[in-house]
Amino acid sequence: MAEIRLEHVTKSFGDKVAVHDASLTIADREFLVLLGPSGCGKTTLLRAIAGLGMADSGRIAIGGRDVTYLPPGRRQISMVFQSYAIFPHMTVRDNIGFGLLMNKVDKAEISRRVNSAAELLHIEDLLDRRPSAMSGGQRQRVAVARALAMEAKVLLMDEPLSNLDALLRLEMRAELKRLLADVEATTVYVTHDQIEALSMGDRVAVMRDGEIQQCDAPNTVYESPSNRFVGSFIGNPPMNFLDGTIRRSNGGVVAAVAHHEFSPAAEVRPLIEGLRGDRVTLGIRAENMETLTDPGPDTVPARVEVVEPLGAQNLLTVQVGGRLMKVSTHPTLPVAVGDGLHIRFPADQIRWIDPATDKVLYTR
Amino acid sequence: MRVRAWRRHMVPYLLIAPAIVYLALFFAYPMYEGLVLAVYDEDAVLPVRAEPTLDSAEVAEIPQGGALLILDRQSQAMIDDDGATDLLTEQWFRVSGTGDTGAAVDGWVSEARIRVRSEDAAGNPLAGTVRPRLGQSADPLTDVHAEPNDRSGVVGRLEQRAPVEITEVAVLEVWFLVRPADDPGEAAGWAPSRYLQVFDDGERGRVHRGTAGEFTTAFIERMVDDRFFGPALRTTLLIMALLIPLQLVLALVMALVIHARIRLSSGFLYVFALPIGMSDLAVGILFFSIFTGNGLLNSVLDGLGIIDGPFAFLTAETTNWIIFAIVLAELWRATSIVMVILVAGLQAIPDETLEAAELFGAGYWQRVRHIMLPLLRPSIQVALILRTILAFQVFAVVIALSGGDVVTVLANESFRQYYDLRNDNVASAYALFILLLSIASAVFYLRSVRAESEVRPT
Repeated sequence: MAEIRLEHVTKSFGDKVAVHDASLTIADREFLVLLGPSGCGKTTLLRAIAGLGMADSGRIAIGGRDVTYLPPGRRQISMVFQSYAIFPHMTVRDNIGFGLLMNKVDKAEISRRVNSAAELLHIEDLLDRRPSAMSGGQRQRVAVARALAMEAKVLLMDEPLSNLDALLRLEMRAELKRLLADVEATTVYVTHDQIEALSMGDRVAVMRDGEIQQCDAPNTVYESPSNRFVGSFIGNPPMNFLDGTIRRSNGGVVAAVAHHEFSPAAEVRPLIEGLRGDRVTLGIRAENMETLTDPGPDTVPARVEVVEPLGAQNLLTVQVGGRLMKVSTHPTLPVAVGDGLHIRFPADQIRWIDPATDKVLYTR
Repeated sequence: MRVRAWRRHMVPYLLIAPAIVYLALFFAYPMYEGLVLAVYDEDAVLPVRAEPTLDSAEVAEIPQGGALLILDRQSQAMIDDDGATDLLTEQWFRVSGTGDTGAAVDGWVSEARIRVRSEDAAGNPLAGTVRPRLGQSADPLTDVHAEPNDRSGVVGRLEQRAPVEITEVAVLEVWFLVRPADDPGEAAGWAPSRYLQVFDDGERGRVHRGTAGEFTTAFIERMVDDRFFGPALRTTLLIMALLIPLQLVLALVMALVIHARIRLSSGFLYVFALPIGMSDLAVGILFFSIFTGNGLLNSVLDGLGIIDGPFAFLTAETTNWIIFAIVLAELWRATSIVMVILVAGLQAIPDETLEAAELFGAGYWQRVRHIMLPLLRPSIQVALILRTILAFQVFAVVIALSGGDVVTVLANESFRQYYDLRNDNVASAYALFILLLSIASAVFYLRSVRAESEVRPT
């Protein structure tokens, strides 16, 4: 069992608070991704788990053992560094076996584990070479093999793919996912790449300015962001946001955006009624709207400003009541710049956001 | 277009041109000029010529100091004065008078043939008479030459005691026809007096100074045979053997203390680096003041009651103490240079590399042993090379602590040869020896502490 519990972890560098009051429980053998823009504190949080920067306050427990004040070498963890941090003066074999040697594992066992880790990453041929003559991808494999050979209960990865070129990154992403599925370790994976996060993680913890914004399964984070930041950070293109005005009429409540009134779904209605002001923000993803050439019930007229054909879809930038938004359409839909369109907003795809707090009112 | 491209390619060369000029002018050339003295004797041989003029052919070369037989002498117009001080000169007078035939004669006669009878106020001869020749077989007449030179044509002859007017004076240098005394088979040749030393009998002499250079090992032999050479070499090597391992270990500890980034570690850096700013002579004097008879050490030891009265550390009977003091002073003075190199080397190791080692379970000493020391190898190599070369040059501290006689080192011997003995050739031989030792040690380190290309942090 290697459940990781973070309780109110805070870490600052001088005046700058890097991680603020982060609490998180990572289940045994879970793959958790820490996702956020650069400077959001995700690496700091990972390093706090690793013990490479003592937390200022809060508690960190691994497998029920309080490790808050333990040095990294005694936390029984293993890690892949962003720069790989391969030891340049050692052969690949010595690099992979280094942790085992330091932990006084006996020679035969070291040799067995080094070989099997090398086999997993297909670097058996490189075992007696030194890292200086290796490509970035090969070094990356050595770094992963070194981490896996430890057979630690906790595996930490700090942007392991960020130094690879795009093609290699794609290939390595799939391979890492395959590898880590077989490894029975609780994995914390830091990245700023949302595709990586969504495609690899059991859960994704989105961070911003040192705080965890949302921690959910990839689909939930995508479909049902907890606030405006998560909605705009995740997804390409980001979620569309429309500012509307709340109108209360004959017992019902509607949001008016550009001469159109949107009626909230039944479960959201009381929450909107409870809002203080009369402003509300509607969030909707580009692929969740229907584009029609003819007006119909519940459609909003729009004008096409930009057409970006992306192969599997066309991404349109349309103007709705003076606001720009992105809509993705089927590539066969014949549109040109300047055309008029009609867009339908399905009620269950609209996320209602309180503009005062930027929080999504209802998350499922 | 082509010209422009060519110009663009030339830009880097133009940029480094000043550096190349600088290296050639202020480094390579003076170094060559200085070091060549050790193996090249500029005055080694004297070429002698078929005729007593500089443009006649060389017939033989006689080494400097070679004994000579002098066969003949002749005066020649003075050649360019190259600072010669001991040349032999002769004056010739232009005289006019009445010749033996009664006709007027005007020409040149050697001063040996004329007795000056009157001079002007400045001492210039105005008139004289022809000297008589003694002996029955002697020609009673004196030849008058067209040029101030024995070989020029005779324009007339003068009777002995004939009065003449002296109208002009020429100063000539004497040339000698010489042959090596120990080799009668060798051809005889002419050489100007400035390069020769003529003995009193006028028949023998020796080559005082050659004009042509020759490579020679004489200066190196003289250096090796010098009575201070052995002690100087031994002391230099002893100081190195004591100093370098101590310095390396000490500097490593200091560098690790600074690199540990503990509280005050930047303060340590300043304290450790302070002696870099002091001149080596000042450090030598400082340690002299500690070890001298009424110095700090004696005061402390006396005050503590450990010794009874001052102990003389720095005497000819206590050379071991002098060497100890020299090593201590050098240790204090120059360890920080090694430390600075090692600190730079440590800082070049990426933080993540050390963190990785820590994370994979390496304790501090394991990190030092398995990560830091191997990655520091290039820095250690540089430090060792630098330190060894500087140890061969140790000088001012030795002078301050020993006066340069009781305990001597190679650099001190070079100084002594140059300054006290005025022998720049042997001084240069010492300098060359130090250079060769430095190169040899650098090559030794480069080979034995070989920095594999893999060691470079990536």
